[in-house]
This record gives sequence, C-alpha cells and structure tokens, in this order.
Amino acid sequence: MASLWNEYAVSEAYDEMRCSKNLARASADRLSNYLDSLDGNALDVRKTAAEMAIMEMGITFTVYSDEGNIDRAWPFDIIPRIIENKEWQNVAVGLKQRLKALNCFINDVYNEQLFIKEGLIPESIITSSTNFLQECVGMNPKYGAWANICGSDLVRDKDGTLYVLEDNLRVPSGVSYMIENRVITKKVFPELLQDLDVLPVDDYPVNLYEMLSSIAPEHVESPRIAVLTPGIFNSAYFEHAFLAQQIGAELVEGADLVVQDDDCVYMRTINGLEKVDVIYRRIDDRFLDPEVFNKDSMLGVKGLIRAWKKGNVSLANSPGSGVADDKVVYAYVPEMIRFYLNEEPLLPNVPTFLCSEPDQLDYVLTHLEELVVKPANESGGYGMLVGPHATKNEIEGFRKVIKSNPRNYIGQPTLALSTCPTLCNNHLEPRHIDLRPFILQGESSFVTAGGLTRVALKKGSLVVNSSQGGGSKDTWIINTGK
Amino acid sequence: MLSRSAERLYWLARYLERTENTARLLSVYMNLMFDMPMDVQVSWRNLLTIFGAENAFLKLYDVPNEQNTMRFLLTDTANPGSLFSSLNAARENIRTSREIMPDEAWQQVNEMYLFAKENVNNATNRRGRVLILTEILRGCQRFTGFMSGAMSHDDALRFIRIGRAIERADMTTRILDIATVLLADDRSDKTRQYENTMWMNVLKSLSALLMYRKHRRHRINSGDVLDFLLKDPDFPRSVRYCVKDAEVYIKRLPRSEGLIDNLVVLAESLIAVDIYSIDPLQLHHFLDEIQSSLAVTHNQIASTWFLSST
Repeated sequence: MASLWNEYAVSEAYDEMRCSKNLARASADRLSNYLDSLDGNALDVRKTAAEMAIMEMGITFTVYSDEGNIDRAWPFDIIPRIIENKEWQNVAVGLKQRLKALNCFINDVYNEQLFIKEGLIPESIITSSTNFLQECVGMNPKYGAWANICGSDLVRDKDGTLYVLEDNLRVPSGVSYMIENRVITKKVFPELLQDLDVLPVDDYPVNLYEMLSSIAPEHVESPRIAVLTPGIFNSAYFEHAFLAQQIGAELVEGADLVVQDDDCVYMRTINGLEKVDVIYRRIDDRFLDPEVFNKDSMLGVKGLIRAWKKGNVSLANSPGSGVADDKVVYAYVPEMIRFYLNEEPLLPNVPTFLCSEPDQLDYVLTHLEELVVKPANESGGYGMLVGPHATKNEIEGFRKVIKSNPRNYIGQPTLALSTCPTLCNNHLEPRHIDLRPFILQGESSFVTAGGLTRVALKKGSLVVNSSQGGGSKDTWIINTGK
Repeated sequence: MLSRSAERLYWLARYLERTENTARLLSVYMNLMFDMPMDVQVSWRNLLTIFGAENAFLKLYDVPNEQNTMRFLLTDTANPGSLFSSLNAARENIRTSREIMPDEAWQQVNEMYLFAKENVNNATNRRGRVLILTEILRGCQRFTGFMSGAMSHDDALRFIRIGRAIERADMTTRILDIATVLLADDRSDKTRQYENTMWMNVLKSLSALLMYRKHRRHRINSGDVLDFLLKDPDFPRSVRYCVKDAEVYIKRLPRSEGLIDNLVVLAESLIAVDIYSIDPLQLHHFLDEIQSSLAVTHNQIASTWFLSST
C-alpha cells in the first residue's frame, strides 16, 4: 500500500514529525505509523468529527468585520504536534527563569531602577515606552510578581533550536483553546491517546486558581475572585467565560463592579454589593480605570487603581507589567536573567536589531528584504513586515514608517519556522507552526505541559495568528523510551 | 450571584419557553388547519393575532397566507417574535452565562440553534416544518429535563424557574385569547360545528389534553377548557399554577420583601372569576389584565435584582 508519507515534502525547515519523507522522528514514530494506517478519507472523517465537536461545544472566537462581529468556529487541525518530554522539561525551567527575571525587572523599573543605574539599559527606552505607567511607581505586588500570567511565543529554527520570540505580559490569550484542543483530540483519536504517554493539559485551571488565591491581599481567608472581561463582543470572550467557569470565579464586566468610599471593590449581586479580592483582568491597562487612564473608557471601573494601590484588591496582571512586554525591552531579557538571577539564560532570544540604535538601524534599513520588522507594542501580528514575502512597494513604505519613529521598531532575521504535518484536502502537507506556552507566577511558578500550537494554514505562510487565517493544533508532550 | 447573571438566566428561561410555546402553537395550528374543511373561516391571520404581531407582519409581508405567516413566525429573524429569533436570544443569553451553567446545558441550546440554522430552507414546506417543530420541542424538553437533574436548587435555578413561569403564564393567556376570536357572536354556524375540534387543539397545544380528560371527565367544551387552563391548581401550564410557581421562587430569593404582593392579588382574582358566565369580550379584557399584571411583576423583578435597572 502506498504510504501517506510518500508525497510528504519536507522543506528546508525543521519538521516536527519527520526527519525526511521516509523517516519519522523517534518521538513521533507511533503517531506517524498510526496516521499511515488511516487513508486520506479516514482522516477526513475524523476531521469532520472534530469540526462537529467544535461547533457543538461552541468553541469560537470573534472576528471583527464591516458587517459586524461574527463568531467563527475555532480553526483546528487534527494532526497533533509532538515534543519530547525530555526536551520540554528544560524549556519549562527556562520559561520560569525568564518570567522570574522579567518580574524582577518590572519591580525594579517601578522602584529602585538598578538596571538603568548600572547602565544595562538606556533610561530613554523605559521613559519612552507607552506601557510604562507613572501611576505604578513605588508599587510592590505580592512575591514581586507583577506579571502573574505570561504567554511566551516559541519558534523552532532550521537547526532545531527553540527561540523565545516574544513574551506576552499584558493579557495573553489562547490557553482555553489549548485545553479544548485536547478535549477534541480525545474524541477524534481516542485509541491513540490511550496507547501513548502524553502529559495532560487540563491542570492549568487548578494552577491558575491557586496562583490567583496566593496573590490575594493579606488577611483575606478565602478570597473572592473575578474575571474582568471587556464583554461579549471581545474576540476572547469565549476564553474569559471558559476560565471563569473552570476556576469557579465570577465573570464580570466593568459595570458589575463599583469602588466605594472605603476604596474597596464590590460587585453588584442579587444580594446587594459584595466585596471582590482578586481580579484576573482581561482588559488592557489603559481601559482599566477612567479615573486614572482613558477617561472615556466604558469598560473599566472608576477607582480600581485607587483600590489596588491601597492594597484592597489584587490585579493580575498588575497594571504597568506591559513595560516589559515591548519588543525593544525584549532584547535585554538575557541580560536581566544574568543581572537579577545570576544565571545564564536557558532559552535563547532571537537576535534582535534595535532601530533606536543608529548602527543597528542602518543594518535594518539595508537588509529589509531579509528581515522581519515589528512594531514594539503591537500584538496579534499586526503592523509588521515580513521582508522575504513583501513586495518592493511594501518594503519602501515600511522604510519610511521606520525612519519616522525608529524607537518603535525592531528587526529580526526571518526564521524558517518549523513545520508540522497538517491535513490539507485529504492529505498531509507541512505547515509552519509556533508554540505559546503559558507561565504562571504567584507564590510559586507553573508552566503548561506544552501550550497552544498555532499553525499557518496557508502554504508557505509564516503568520499563525487566528485573526489572520491561522489555526491551531493539539500539542503533545510525550514520554518516550522507557 | 451577579445581578447580570440573574438577568441573563431569567431571560434565557423566558426565551426558551417562548421558543417552545411558539413551536407548540405553530404545530397545533397547522394540525387544526388540516382538520378544518376548506370553507370554514379560520384564517392564518388568527395566529398573528395571538402573537400580537399583525402590524409587524404587514410591514414585511402583504398576504397572511400559510406560507407567509409561517415564515414570519417561524424562521424570519427580521421578526423579533419569531421562533428563530427567540431561539437566538436564548442562545445568546446562555452563551454569556456559561460560567454558571453546566456545559451540557449550553451544548443543548447550541445544538438546537445549529439544527434550526441548518434546516431553515426546509421550512418552506409542511413536512419540513413539522420536522423542525418536532425537533425544537424535543430540544426544549431535553433542556428542561437536563436542568432538573443537573442544577442545584439555588438562586440561579430560581431565576430560571421564575422566568419560565412568567413566560408560560403569559403564553397560556395568549393562546386562550384565541377563544375570544373563535367564540365571537358573529361566527358562522359552520364554525360552531367545529368548536370542539378547536378546543381540543388548544388543549393539545399546551400538552393538556390527557390531564384535562383525567381531571374534568366532561366532554370538551369551552367553559371547562378555559377553567382548566386558567384556574387549575395542579396543571403546570395553567395560569394559576404558573403564578403560584413564580411566587414560590420569588419568595426564596434575597431582598424579595413585598415582591409577591402583586402575584397574590392576581392569584385571588383568578380564583374569584367565574369563567363559565363571562362573555368573549369580558374574557378578552380579563386576559389582558392578567398580562398587564405579569408585566408589573416582571418590572419589580428587574428593578430589584437586575443590573440594567440599577
């Protein structure tokens, strides 16, 4: 019988499942063979089953369009992505290390500023960061943990090395899809999961709950926790509701909360007002409190920052954490790890050229055709240039944009993101992927087993964002070789 | 519980009950029309009257024939009172209440919605409509059954029960209002011959036929049917039962002082009225009063517990 893999064209990028057309990676051997035992049609049947499950479970994300907001079914590819547990354990330690250093940095920036005083970062980078909030100076969140929830994006280059591409410290999303993807895989490939030693992913909510409890204000016995959402029209509303349900928290919108004269936060319930101790907020800093930030914000809660500064409520992530979620600051993370933790970084950064530095700017401007250029503060893959895929006009346009505001741009070499077999019209083709693990830090640290693998469904594309035609895969951290 | 959640659960229950009752009414009316000889003047327009939707209909359609009326009441989402609109609203309320409801509850409503969406084109013929209505009715009942086995008897369930009771009472009065049309003095002799068929269908539309027969032991007649559906203390779709139900659950909620007074008065007036001796016009007014009184209770509930009123 002709093998499914005969037509699988491994490119120059690292493939997560196949060393070559004829040879599976050791960790993916069983999965490879299993897939081969099904033909294209059988795979398509599974795919349809997955789509049905997604529709019925109502796993959606919202897309903004001219015709209004549409709830789209979550795009999911049934072929899982495999990482060997041995490798993953090292990555997990590296991720914890990274978040610890980032939190030390944020705490330092809002207090003594030793990192600046030591000359390790120019002060202007901090003061010019739109995410640096003057209101947060002098604050000292419990355990020094400002960013309690971090989603870091990892990519694997040609040679197999995993790089940290960015750290999302504001309101990273995707963890609910990570959990739901596994639920779907269990429905689609039950026989397979039974035979393989794959780490579970559904312990995240328990750890999220523990972390949120651990950061409650002092002397609160059993804290009341709320998830603050911008509302039902937000693209991640599904996730907000999912997490609130999973951790048994209240899902609130700004209008549900009120700060009283005692500087405590209360929610409006059928019993009247009830005090809230911890808020996992999924609203950006600037919209949190119209009293302090955006005066026109309808999403936030008047007086929330006041209550937070008095220590009457804990916010996760702490306002101001975004100062370290800046692609310029990113370049300094390895140095932070050395400075604050006195350790060597376990996970490498992608080499980064800062357009704020004249010599590096020159390099970027003369190598636009081969670089990826990103704005320092955007997320969701917006406003970036992928040099090798861009037209001449796009490159020239970007050149002007960079020159007009160099502080806001960085350049990075275009990595050949690794690929993973993906089901395309009844057969398997390599598609580029990345990985977003989620890291928690409160009293202790936690890393998800794997994370959310995002896949660029379009052939050759490197853009994995769901808002731009990306999909996702279940991620298996697998124990092999007993 | 959050005021916002209470409000959504209440409306979830109302919309779902409305979905179910609309399905009942449409399928029974279809059956009735099949029973009627061609020359009996029962028109599809009556259906629009029951829903109080004649004006809204005429804005979108011209002739109230079977095709148009059914589309308007069943699948037309431009009509906020259509079955699909109610189902959409129910789904939206439960979609935004997922943190307080078991997953399966959401999935059941979502499946119903997906089914409806998929079959919207089949609704143009009678057979397709029968299938859709049957499936919707089943879905609603599955949901009710699931909830009774999976939800703790806490405040969340109380708001669901209250919303359901109020919507149900309201809908029963609307269905009975058909009597005021059918019993009009100027009805033809031919229509009079088929009166019992109509009453039987009214009972059927509320799944009340068997219980009526068991408890009344009379042959079907207008007075007994009205009495049963308005005043019976034990039948779960009678107005009196629903009013009592709402009262029971309101009483158990926090800050409910004084909130049941209106319902107590309503229950008393139901007990006091002699349904056998009032004429169709008086009946129509009485049903109107019940609907207004239910609206008063709704407003009291909203201003006591809901976010939109604070």
